[in-house]
Amino acid sequence: MTIARLYRSLAKAFPHEFKLAYGDDMLRDGEASIARIAQRRGFAGLLPLLADLVLRLPIEYLNEMRHDIPYAFRTLVKSPGYAAVGIVSMGLGIGLTTNLYSTAWSLLTRQLPAAQHASRLVTPEKPVSWYYIQQYRAEKNLFTGVAAVQTSVQFNVELDGARGTKPQRVFGQIVSPDYFSVLGIAPERGRMLSADDQKPGEAPVVISNRFWRSRLHADPDAIGQTIQINGQNATIIGVAPPRFDGALSPAPAEIFVPTTAPPAMVPELGNNVLQQRNAKAFAALMCLAPGVTIDQAEAALDGITRRLDKLDPMAPPETAGGKRVSLLAAGTRALIPRKVKPAILGFYFVLMAAVMAIACLNLATMLLARGANRRRELAIRLGVGASRFRLVRQMVSEGILLSLVGGAAGFALAYALWALYAHTQLPAGAPPNPDNSLDWHVVAFAFVLALLSGIGFSVLPAFSATKTDIATALKEGAVLRLSGHRCFGLRNVAMGAQVAGSLMLLLVTGFLVLGFMRGQSLHTNFNQKTMVLLAVDPVRDGYTAEKSRSFFEQLPERLRQSTEVRSFALAAQPPFPSTDDEDDHQLTAEASHIQSGAARQKVGAGYFSAISEPMLAGREFQQRDERIATDGSGMAAIPVILNEKAARALFGGGSAVGKRLRDDQHEYEVIGVVPTLKDAMGMTQAYAYLPLTQRDFVQPPPGGITIIARGHSAADALVGVRAALTAMDPNLTVFNVETLSEYVELTRAHLRTVLRIYGGIGLFGLILSAVGLAGITGYAVAQRTKEIGIRMALGAPKTQVLGLVLREGLALIAAGTVIGFLGAFTVAKMVSAITKEFADVFQIGTNDPRLLLGAPLLLAGLALLACYIPALRATKIDPLAALRQD
Amino acid sequence: MTNRIESYLPLKPQSFHILLSLAAGEQHGYGIMQDVLERTTGKVRLWPATLYGTIRRLMEAELIEESPRRPAPELDDARRRYYRLTPLGRRVLDAECARLQALVDAIHTKRRMVPE
Repeated sequence: MTIARLYRSLAKAFPHEFKLAYGDDMLRDGEASIARIAQRRGFAGLLPLLADLVLRLPIEYLNEMRHDIPYAFRTLVKSPGYAAVGIVSMGLGIGLTTNLYSTAWSLLTRQLPAAQHASRLVTPEKPVSWYYIQQYRAEKNLFTGVAAVQTSVQFNVELDGARGTKPQRVFGQIVSPDYFSVLGIAPERGRMLSADDQKPGEAPVVISNRFWRSRLHADPDAIGQTIQINGQNATIIGVAPPRFDGALSPAPAEIFVPTTAPPAMVPELGNNVLQQRNAKAFAALMCLAPGVTIDQAEAALDGITRRLDKLDPMAPPETAGGKRVSLLAAGTRALIPRKVKPAILGFYFVLMAAVMAIACLNLATMLLARGANRRRELAIRLGVGASRFRLVRQMVSEGILLSLVGGAAGFALAYALWALYAHTQLPAGAPPNPDNSLDWHVVAFAFVLALLSGIGFSVLPAFSATKTDIATALKEGAVLRLSGHRCFGLRNVAMGAQVAGSLMLLLVTGFLVLGFMRGQSLHTNFNQKTMVLLAVDPVRDGYTAEKSRSFFEQLPERLRQSTEVRSFALAAQPPFPSTDDEDDHQLTAEASHIQSGAARQKVGAGYFSAISEPMLAGREFQQRDERIATDGSGMAAIPVILNEKAARALFGGGSAVGKRLRDDQHEYEVIGVVPTLKDAMGMTQAYAYLPLTQRDFVQPPPGGITIIARGHSAADALVGVRAALTAMDPNLTVFNVETLSEYVELTRAHLRTVLRIYGGIGLFGLILSAVGLAGITGYAVAQRTKEIGIRMALGAPKTQVLGLVLREGLALIAAGTVIGFLGAFTVAKMVSAITKEFADVFQIGTNDPRLLLGAPLLLAGLALLACYIPALRATKIDPLAALRQD
Repeated sequence: MTNRIESYLPLKPQSFHILLSLAAGEQHGYGIMQDVLERTTGKVRLWPATLYGTIRRLMEAELIEESPRRPAPELDDARRRYYRLTPLGRRVLDAECARLQALVDAIHTKRRMVPE
C-alpha cells in the first residue's frame, strides 16, 4: 500500500535522535491508524496524517539544531584562527556580492518603485516626435497610455524665500501630463500631474521625494509653494512617492515639469517642438494594454510607424526591410535592449557567482582541512555510536554559523560601501547618484546567500571527513595521516579552483578597469586646460531668425579680432560627445553600394584646427560650406568630413575625398578625412561630420550653439569670447560655461565610481584567495607536524623543509594560473561577442601587458607568500616536541 | 516552585490532553491517542508525529517520564514505551485545570449577569 510506504519513508526522514526514542512507536501507531482510517474514511482521511508528518519534520530538525548551533559556537571559539579565516572570507564575499546586487543588479532588474504598471511599461529604443506620440496614444487596443518624456534635463531652480541666492542646478524630466497615470503612481503628497494640466502656459510641477526632503527640508507646506525654474514662476503641486526618481533613465530626476510649461521656462520646448512632426525630441513611455505582449506591440507599432512615415512628405522613403521600432521593457531603472539583456545579466551573475565561489571555496577547503584534523575525534564519536548523519549535521551547523556571522559582517561591509558611494563628492553639476539605499530585499538577499553557501559548501567536506575507517583512525592518532598522495583529491581541486577563480576575477575586472581608464584619458593634441566651452542661443533671447543669422555670421569675425582667443570654432554640441549612435544613420557609398553606419556631429568652420586635429586628406569646413548647405533641398550635395574609421568602412583603403555618399534623405560629397577621435567615454565610432547650416543658426539646437575657444589659458579665452559677445549684444545669455577638462570630468564622474567598484572587486578577490591559501597551507603544515619533526630529527636542513611545503603549493598555483587565464579570456571574448560597449573596453584591456603579466605575478606572489608564512612556521617545529605528540 | 509551575501555563492543547490522559496512570503513545480520541468523541486526534513530538517536549520539560512499571502481563505490549506523570507534571496539570475551571466559572457568572 503506497500510503503506508510513503508514511514509512517520511517517518524515516526524522532526526536520528528522535527516531531512536520514538521511531518504532511512531511507525507502529501510524500503520495501525492507516488501516483503520482508510477503512472508515478512505484515502482522503489519511491526508492529515501525512501533512502532520511533513509539518513536524522541520520542527524536529530545528529542535535538534538548537543544540548543534551552541556546540558549533563553542568549537569555533576554541579555534579562533579558523573562525577568523572563515568569517573574513564569507564577510568579504557576501559584502561584495550584496553590493553588486544592490547597485548594478537592482538597477537592471528591480522594478520602478511605486509604479503600479511597471511590468507593463515599454519604450521604443529611439526618440520620437510629439506628433507620433499622439498617434500612438490613439491605439487604445495596444496601449492604455503613452506619455512623452525627456530625461536628464537640467533646470536652474531657485527656491522661494531664497531669491537672490545662487540658483541650484537640478536634474529633472520634462513629461507629458499623463506621465504619472501611465506609470500608475499615486502622490505621496498633493497631487500628480493630470490631464487637467493640459492648459498651456501654466507651470505646475511635481517634485521627487528626495528634492522635498533634501532641498525643502520635508516642509509640510511645500504644496502650493512657488519656485523659480530657469527664472520663471512654477507651482509645486505634489510630491512623488519615496524612491521614485523618474522612469527611463538611471540618472535620478528631482523635478517633473509638464510639457505644457512655457518655452521661456523650458527652452527644450522651444522652436515649436510640439508642433514639428519631425522633431524627435521625446522618449515615448507606453503602458501595454492587458494581454498584449511586447512582441505583438512591437510588430503593431512597426506597422503604424511605417504608415505614419509614409504619410509624412518630409520622412525618408519607405526603405525595404529593417525594423523601424524596437521596444524595450521600461519597468526597470536601467534600460537594456532585450537582445543583450541575457548577456549583461549573465555577466553580472557570473561576477557575483565568482566572488561567492571563491569565498565558499575558502570555507570548503578550511572545513576539509579541519575535518582531516579532527579525524580522531570523529572516529571516537562514530565508534561510540553517533550516526554519520549526526556528525555531518554538526559540521554543517558549523559552516552555517560561520557563514551567518560572515553574512552579518558582509552586510556591514556592503553598508559601508554604500555609505562611501553615497557620500562620494561628485563634481558640481554632475547628475546625482542613483539612490541605491539598502532595503529589506538586500538584507534578505545577504541572509539567503549566507545560509545557502553555508549549507552548500560544508556538506561535501563534512561527508568527506566522516568517511573514515574508524579502526585505523583510532590507531593512527589525530594528526599523522599516511594516505597516499592523490593528485585530484578534494583539497587540491578546491585549492587549484580557488587560484583559477581569483585570477579570473582579477583579470576580468582588470580588463574592465584598464579598458575604461585608458579610454578615459582623452587624448588631445593640445592642453585641455586652455579650452573653454560656452553656449549661446540668441533665438531664446528673443532674436528674430534674420537677426540670429546675421549674429552668427558676424561672430567669427569678432572672435578673430580678439587677442585672447587664439583659435575657435562653432559646433552644435561640445566636442568629443558620447551620445550619438553610429547604428542610427546608414550611409551608402554611391559607387560601390557599400553601406555602413556613422554617427553624426555638426561642426562649424575651422573646427578641426580648433581642436588641433590634422586633416588626413582633403580640407575642412569653411564658412562658405555653412552657407551652401541650407536645407540640403535643391543643393547638389552636402559636404561631409569622415573620420578614418568611417572612411575605411565605406571606401576600404582607397581615397575617400571627392567620393559621393547618400542616405535616405540627402546626397553628400566627402571633402576631407580626419583621424578617428575617442569620445569622452573612450569609445571610438565611425563619424560623419556635417557642417553647421543656416537652419542651425536660425533654430539653434536645444543646448544652443557651442562656442569652442582656446587661448593662453581657459580663463583668457573666456574673457576674449565674453568681450566679443558683449560688444555684439550685452544682453545675450551665455550658458554651460566650462573648460574642456571640466566637461570631460563631468561626463566621466559616474564611470569612475563604477571603476572603483570593479577595482575593489578584483582586489577583494585577491585578498580572499590569499586568506584561503594561507589558511589551507597552514593546516597542511599542522597536519604534517610529526612528519616534519621526524625529517628534522634525521637531519633535514631548514631549506629542504621549506621547499617541501612550498613545492606542493607551487604546483597548485601554476595549474590554477593557467586555468584562470583561459577562463578570463573566455569570459572577455564571450561578453565582447555580444555587446559592443564591452567589446571596445575588453579590446583595450586584453592587450595591456601590465595586466597580462602583472595580474598572474601579483596573484602568484601573494599565493607564495600565503604558503611561505606557514612553511616558515614549519621550519620552526621543535623535532622533540613534535615526536612526543600523541 | 509556584513560579516554575506558572511558567508552563497556559499549556498547549496537545500537551494538556496528553497530561490528562496520563493522570489516570501510565500509558503508551497509542493508548494516549485512543484515550484522547474517546474523551473528545473523535474531535481531537493527535496524529503520530505531533503526539511523539509533544511527548518529547514534555519529557525534556520533565513533566512526564518513562515508566519502568509495566501493566499486567496479559495487557502488556512489551515493545512499547510507557509514560507517566512526574510530580511536577501532576502539579502543572492541576494548576492548568484550576485555571481552566476559573475561566469556566467566569463564563457562568457572565451568563447569569447577561440574560439571554
